[in-house]
Amino acid sequence: MWLWFSKLGSPKWFYELSGRWLPWLTAAMIIFMTIGLVWGLLFLPPDYQQGFTSRILIVHVAVAGTSLAFFPLMFVAGTITLVWKMKLADMVAKNAAILGAWFSFVTLATGSLWGSVMWGTWWEWTDSRLVSMLFQLFLLIGVISLRSALEDSETAAKACALLSIVGCINVVIIKYSVEWWNTLHQASSPISTDSSSPNGPEFWIATLIMIVAVYLFLSVSLILATRNEILERERRSQWVRDLVLKS
Amino acid sequence: MKPHRRKKLGIILFIAAGLSIAIGFTAFALKQNINMFYTPTQVAEGEVGAGQHFRIGGMVKMGTVVGDQGSLKVNFVTTDFVSDVPIQYEGILPDLFREGQGIVAEGEMDTAGVFQASRVLAKHDENFMSPEVKAALDASGASAENHSPMANNK
Repeated sequence: MWLWFSKLGSPKWFYELSGRWLPWLTAAMIIFMTIGLVWGLLFLPPDYQQGFTSRILIVHVAVAGTSLAFFPLMFVAGTITLVWKMKLADMVAKNAAILGAWFSFVTLATGSLWGSVMWGTWWEWTDSRLVSMLFQLFLLIGVISLRSALEDSETAAKACALLSIVGCINVVIIKYSVEWWNTLHQASSPISTDSSSPNGPEFWIATLIMIVAVYLFLSVSLILATRNEILERERRSQWVRDLVLKS
Repeated sequence: MKPHRRKKLGIILFIAAGLSIAIGFTAFALKQNINMFYTPTQVAEGEVGAGQHFRIGGMVKMGTVVGDQGSLKVNFVTTDFVSDVPIQYEGILPDLFREGQGIVAEGEMDTAGVFQASRVLAKHDENFMSPEVKAALDASGASAENHSPMANNK
């Protein structure tokens, strides 16, 4: 068990393994993304009240749901950095923060777009779902800034790990904000196979495909970014030199 | 696991747990401040002080929307199926505004007990339906509006 764990912490091992997985993940991502976007944006029936505006939510829900995965990921990576001092965990955490900030931004942008049409407002400071999501964006920008502000990379890794662990609580607040408090934002749409349910299956199946597609996109982007990070940080090691000489 | 690592892991878990509890209590204490709006029942029970600027959230009661000819003035009643609050508003309503729809209105209570709204927002619920399904449901007598329209309002 511990042998496997320490092997995972080796950048060289991760680089080789991810290199083998990457084509498969990319192919799966393209397939899911194509089905999800073409179906969701071109063929999905309109909602009887929202019309075609409901199609924005296919993207919004998938990106928003996925954006909640970043802090738990950074929590795990941060814990590994602090306890076991694995360099790889910090490389993942660094790029997760940057990707997560973009995901949060897209969530807010698509949500505002939908809200401006349906709610009659593009932003409400009093809505806890909206504000907690904005807080996640600021937290991630905070993690990114903290890293660039600290010169010593080991101190930066530790500080960012701690902030990620603390910031993880915000994910719970985002998730349950619509249940704990009165909000303009609607609650999560239930998945139901009951034919009398008001939620048509085509809406949630299309959303589910998009969620898988966006998770695959996250994995592929994070792996690519981490591989770059590995090459940069390990550029003085023998295996990277061999790799460069071979290519 | 080495003892010093076990200790570090313990500290991290302790910080995470402690902070969760602290934030949980804070959120619970600030419940009414974090809530976006009051329900008509809360207003009827006098939870809102006189002359206070606040938001009220509820359903537009069926058959109560009365528009004024020649102006943008509109009167309607908002309800949470326990209490009703009449609302007066002048301005452009969001597209989603209709009878049976959830809304959030911002404004003040006047002396006559009518809520003078300066802003009205439409609230969408978590249900999505194609026009065909909606037509089929209406034909079978089960209106979509009866499917927990304000499900997340407590």
